[in-house]
Amino acid sequence: MARISLRNVGKRYDDVVALAECNLEIADREFVVLVGPSGSGKTTLLRIIAGLEHMSAGDVWFDERRVNDVDVGDRDIAMVFQNYGLYPHMSVYDNMAFGLRRRKLAPADIDARVRRTAQLLDIAPLLARRPRQLSGGQRQRVALGRAIVRDPAVFLLDEPLSNLDAHLRVQMRAEILKVHRAVTATAVYVTHDQVEALTMGDRIVVMHQGRIQQVGTPAELYDNPVNRFVAGFIGTPAMGFIECSVERTGNEVALRAGDARVGLAPQRAQAVDRASTVVVGVRPERLSLVDDASAHADTLTVRGVVQVVEMLGSEQYVHVEVPAGMLTARVTRDRPVKPEEIVTLRAAARHLHLFDAPTGAALTAPVRGEI
Amino acid sequence: MAAGRRPPGAEPWLDWMVLPTVGVLAVVVGYPVVYTLVLSAQHYNFLEPEPARFIGAANYAQLVADRIFWQALGNTAIYTFGSVLAAALLGLVLALLVETYASPRMRLVRALLLTPWAVPFVVTAFLFRYMYLQNGGVVNAVLLHAGIVRAPVAWLNNASLALPSVMVANVWTMTPFFFLLLSAALAGIPNEVIESARVDRARGMSMIVGIKLPFLRSALLVGSLLMVISNFNDFAKIWATTQGGPGYATTTLVVYVYRLAFENFQFGYASAMGVVWLLLLMGFAVAYLRALRLR
Amino acid sequence: MRASRIVQAIALGLALAWSLAPIYWMLATSFKNELEASALDPTLWPHAATLDNYRGLVGGTLPFPTFFVNTVVTCLATAAVAVAIALPAAYALSRARFRSRGAVAYGILVSRMLPLVVLLAPLYLLLLHAHLLDSNLGLVVGFTTFGLPFAVWMLKTFIDAVPIEIEESARVDGYPRWQILLRVVVPLILPGVLTTATFVFMDAWNNLIFPLSFMTTLEKQTLPAALVVSFTGQFKTDWGGMMAAATVTTLPLMVAFFAVQRSMVRGLTAGAVAGV
Repeated sequence: MARISLRNVGKRYDDVVALAECNLEIADREFVVLVGPSGSGKTTLLRIIAGLEHMSAGDVWFDERRVNDVDVGDRDIAMVFQNYGLYPHMSVYDNMAFGLRRRKLAPADIDARVRRTAQLLDIAPLLARRPRQLSGGQRQRVALGRAIVRDPAVFLLDEPLSNLDAHLRVQMRAEILKVHRAVTATAVYVTHDQVEALTMGDRIVVMHQGRIQQVGTPAELYDNPVNRFVAGFIGTPAMGFIECSVERTGNEVALRAGDARVGLAPQRAQAVDRASTVVVGVRPERLSLVDDASAHADTLTVRGVVQVVEMLGSEQYVHVEVPAGMLTARVTRDRPVKPEEIVTLRAAARHLHLFDAPTGAALTAPVRGEI
Repeated sequence: MAAGRRPPGAEPWLDWMVLPTVGVLAVVVGYPVVYTLVLSAQHYNFLEPEPARFIGAANYAQLVADRIFWQALGNTAIYTFGSVLAAALLGLVLALLVETYASPRMRLVRALLLTPWAVPFVVTAFLFRYMYLQNGGVVNAVLLHAGIVRAPVAWLNNASLALPSVMVANVWTMTPFFFLLLSAALAGIPNEVIESARVDRARGMSMIVGIKLPFLRSALLVGSLLMVISNFNDFAKIWATTQGGPGYATTTLVVYVYRLAFENFQFGYASAMGVVWLLLLMGFAVAYLRALRLR
Repeated sequence: MRASRIVQAIALGLALAWSLAPIYWMLATSFKNELEASALDPTLWPHAATLDNYRGLVGGTLPFPTFFVNTVVTCLATAAVAVAIALPAAYALSRARFRSRGAVAYGILVSRMLPLVVLLAPLYLLLLHAHLLDSNLGLVVGFTTFGLPFAVWMLKTFIDAVPIEIEESARVDGYPRWQILLRVVVPLILPGVLTTATFVFMDAWNNLIFPLSFMTTLEKQTLPAALVVSFTGQFKTDWGGMMAAATVTTLPLMVAFFAVQRSMVRGLTAGAVAGV
């Protein structure tokens, strides 16, 4: 149990900047997920928290203690690696006991802890086996068990589920959360899978190119992404984007993309300020396939060519190429759609996300609760 | 606000760990290297009552004018590059040959083909010396019986035959190394590459040259470099066979330096020769490695 | 198709003959009596097989059993010491990221290139001053030094193959590096350690120039040097005896070689094929 504080953490390898200006506060017992594409720096950040790498700038604090110069083994952390990192030449029991033996605990004590943890994770019958005799899922549990048995203040998990097949992954997600509740320690979890992040984290940290883009609850990130990257990264299928030009006639501000035109409500128009182009983002579930192509007030109606249709059981994802961008609509299968077909998509103006074209920063987001 | 470059605790251990090796090498290698440089500029004859005296580059001048030095250098080049080339080729042929047989019995065959490497160099030297005997040596016996020659050949006593004869023994010893290395490299070629080549109807020589050789290139180059360096040091194989004779026909640099140091006790001159040798070898290695990287 | 198969079989047969014939010859000669061994027209196999040559090794004028023991002792000691010193260095080179690491690795490669002979004179003087001439300890010092760079290089390739995450787990568990090396890494590379030790052993066994130069008392000599010395003395024309001595000199090396033959491939190729 510990509060973690990252203040201005940066890391560079020779000329390459891996991390820059990372600030983060993690509350005691929180389950925080670091998510981002590969190369975003999330694993580097995790390893700096662990002490396996040293930062080039900034500080890391555990509670009131500055741990920059504290050795890995003295930070009271436990880590689960992507490839598990189990000791191949030791039994499962010894794998779990190895870390405890270092702390000079009584053998009876160690034995009790190991068995209790094995029970918790359903691996008690495997205690005498060697890692090479275990399946991927079993090894994963042993890796988890090894971390839990240490009763650390902080758990660090580096993409622990990446090597499991899809079905097992979903199962293990639930297991990990269950364990986290039972153990009540602070946890920092790294993944590249945003679905995993959304389902597991109390709070999520989205990272990109070494910088923290946004920190928030899953809902916050979904509803109010702070920039184009977060908006496009979080959510399945991904948000679609169109580049629109801004038209100002008198007091009215409208956005135009080809033939499509939509007027903005006054509060939102304010945010657009003096920009001449704006990037519009629409969530797939906010788009409907309509048959009449006429413009309606307060809606964005746009025509395009279907590129790909993905059938997913009860619904389909329709990827449409429109002037100045790509949109994806998530609709029921009532209306059949084929590639190359020309279709009309419609979304309410209040559901549009607006982003500044050059920087990607969010200008205004849909307000929840408005009809 | 610290921005420490070296994390404490973990890394100092690693520095300590290198220390014993570096320490030993520094004392037993580093010091003699320096001492050799110093000696090379001195006139130091261990037997002479007078102490060593500084003579600058005179040893090197003597070296350049020393006909035997140049002969030894030439012999070393022929011995080294010739043997390595032959052994590499034979090893390659063997590796390709054995690869075509996939049965488990080949393990025994492979092991048997490796035996020459397991024989100590001194033994190889004396063994071949025995086989090369002009009168009573099995090589001559076989050749005579087969009618290939009419009189016994003086393999080791003939100035033009001696070096090649010794090289044969060297190749006999070295071939297994290349055989093993290249067999492993061949086994490492991904199956998909071979299979897609087969789909493209590559067969026989075109398969070997076009597809397999590129994979073997790096192993061949590194293996050759290692063996060249090792061959430069070959003392036992030559000394036990011919002692560098007849005359200086099989005297390589190693042999010459040894004789200068331990038969004539001219430590200074021997050291100078050693320095030249070292520079030559390093120059070769650098050029070789650069060629390796460039391609 | 058949023709090429036959050609291949013949080629293989020739290769086997070429590899094994000299060894057979050595063995056969060692069982021949003096007359047969130096016959002008050598016999294919010993017509009058005898064990006299081997008996002569034990009871003859030269103390071959002593030579044997000397060689075994010095080579084993060298293997043990070299591996013990090289292990930490190989580990450090494999895992560390300090700037000078490239330089150290290159330095070790260069020292592999060092011609032993070059250093013969100063080494002789060094050992002389340290009173280590004509002693097994001095030999071990010499052998070890020249086995070290190779041992470090070979061990490093084995250590490189151990996944780093296993060690990081141990670091998280609080173990210091040297304990990680001993308790986690070494058990995992045990075959590699043995292979390296065997290579060092073999190199030391093969070394002729050091014993020849540094040992003055005959009783303290190693087998290779003894072979050379005895040739001018005891065995001048006694090829049978010579081959018997040769066989005895060869046997331990062969045993060691075949014991690690399979894992040798990994050690060689890991370094050689992947690049220097």
